[in-house]
Amino acid sequence: MLLKIAWRNIWRSKLRSFVVIGSIAIGVWSLVFLLSFSRGMIMTYIEKAIENQTSHIQVHNPAFINADVEANELEKAPYNFIQDVTKVKEALAADPKVEAFAMRSYAHQTFVGVAGKTGVANVYGINPNQEKAVTNIHSLVIEGDYFEKDKKNQILISASQAEKYNIGIRKKVVLSFTDKNGIPTKVAFRVCGIYDTKNQLQDQFNVYVRQKDLNRVLGLGEESHEIAVFVNDVDGVDAIQENLSALLPSQLVRVYDQISPEIELFNVQIQLSTFIFTFIFMLGLIFGIINTMLMAVLERMRELGMLMAIGMNKAKVFKMITLETLLLGLISAPIGMLIGTLSVGYFKRVGLDLSNFSKGMQKFGMSEIVYPESSGDMYITFGIAVLITAILGSLYPAFKAISLRPVEAIRKI
Amino acid sequence: MSIISVKNIHKIYNEKTVPVHALQGVDLEIEAGEFTAIVGPSGSGKTTLLNIIGGLDRPNQGKVRLADTALEDLNDNQLIDFRKNNIGFIFQAYNLIPVLTSQENVEFVMLLQNRPKAEMHKRAVDLLKSVGLEDKLNQRPSQLSGGQQQRVAVARALASKPKFVLADEPTANLDSKSTADLLDIMARLNKEENITFVFSTHDSRVIERARRVVNMIDGKIESDEQQAV
Repeated sequence: MLLKIAWRNIWRSKLRSFVVIGSIAIGVWSLVFLLSFSRGMIMTYIEKAIENQTSHIQVHNPAFINADVEANELEKAPYNFIQDVTKVKEALAADPKVEAFAMRSYAHQTFVGVAGKTGVANVYGINPNQEKAVTNIHSLVIEGDYFEKDKKNQILISASQAEKYNIGIRKKVVLSFTDKNGIPTKVAFRVCGIYDTKNQLQDQFNVYVRQKDLNRVLGLGEESHEIAVFVNDVDGVDAIQENLSALLPSQLVRVYDQISPEIELFNVQIQLSTFIFTFIFMLGLIFGIINTMLMAVLERMRELGMLMAIGMNKAKVFKMITLETLLLGLISAPIGMLIGTLSVGYFKRVGLDLSNFSKGMQKFGMSEIVYPESSGDMYITFGIAVLITAILGSLYPAFKAISLRPVEAIRKI
Repeated sequence: MSIISVKNIHKIYNEKTVPVHALQGVDLEIEAGEFTAIVGPSGSGKTTLLNIIGGLDRPNQGKVRLADTALEDLNDNQLIDFRKNNIGFIFQAYNLIPVLTSQENVEFVMLLQNRPKAEMHKRAVDLLKSVGLEDKLNQRPSQLSGGQQQRVAVARALASKPKFVLADEPTANLDSKSTADLLDIMARLNKEENITFVFSTHDSRVIERARRVVNMIDGKIESDEQQAV
């Protein structure tokens, strides 16, 4: 009966209840959308990073990764190639969850000279065909070709580098390496293609050459510095990492979020912004609820006094007021979540085009079309937040109600 | 033996600012089965006395014993429980729960007593029949006339099987016909079921029907007379 009374009480002032329900629902909706949007933005970033460069898992010689820039250990980096590469290849080939892998060599901070202009690049030595199965750089070539057959010393540069050095296809680029004996060597490469990942952080530095060309310059044979692994199911990536680490104890096996520390940063950012937005939302909501429920209590002083006069104890009166508030939350939160889910679903399908703002975003590797992405945790968090807020917001009005003395409350009107 | 016993009751409002002596040493004994009206002009203290008898207010001085229980020994929650199980209330403004139907309003008091559902249901229907509202079981207060609402209030007051019923100016908002009907019902319940009724009123129609009239003036009992009805 208490639930029935509470339910009917909230419909006594329909307009007021609708206003509260509406404001909670809009609050929940905007939270769902806003956080799905930033989640989607970051997920898109992560997906792009995986597709364009990182892939799901990378295998390295630990010394290659831990080389300290300050201690000039980078110069030794070319010789920290993967040990037992055959064993690594066998392990990867035997794992059914591994869809493909590609061998890469790498030269850090290489000096670039083009027709009087200079700069720095990270040179990737790749096997064009292997790489196709792991990343999509080949599909991002906007001019020229993704390596021409049988031609030596070809280089793939980014659109932003082409603009920076003011060069185009077939032009010559001179890269300066330090060879095996510590002697600086200059090698000329010819531009075969220009790619554009839209991620300026990446495009600013990365150039691609054939692995055999880079290895020859560095004085290496068949060795590789990096193996990029693409898996069938991204959710199983941690299990594969564990498996590979156990098989290859002397190698460093890392998944994408360990490789790109900004991904971890973004994840923390999502959690933090969820927390902050939810807190601000709760704070706003709590005042709205206090206001509404206080009005509801003050309007019903005589009735509440009568209830206590005829024997309704304080605990039950308190429970009734709290129940009324909880019911408001229980009606409005699902409405907000439903509208949120529908709008997130719609934009997940069609994408949210932010090309007007995309120049700034591209600098940081963000895509210009964002596909919002909600998560179950999000809904649980908001559901709990609304219920906690409803309970907290009902406390003051409920205390106000039980502090009424029946005789005074009845006399008030 | 007295069902209501008040001794040397004093009640002062605004004690710290402008004290108003609402009751000044009232003694009153009421036996089970009485049909008593406490009468007097506005400000004579009759409502204050009724509130104190009903455990809704506490006196500054004096003792109140209701059905062998000394009210001063009870804390607020015990007092609420005591009211629930021993006293039926009828208010001037009916004070029904607006969101509940007549039947639910009557059942509500029994719900507070944790009575079985079937019993609650049967007793509510029986009581509403006895006040002539068998055809209004599912109407909400807003769909009833003032007289009908007050009859629901009578049924509600009796639902908890109280030791006595207190009615504060029960006819003040009613027309003559409704007043006569209500008084008939209460007189019948008093006679047939020996239910004790205590009214505060200055309505001559109620005073005429009372068997005992306690007249108050300026917070004191001026006269206390039995009368033939």
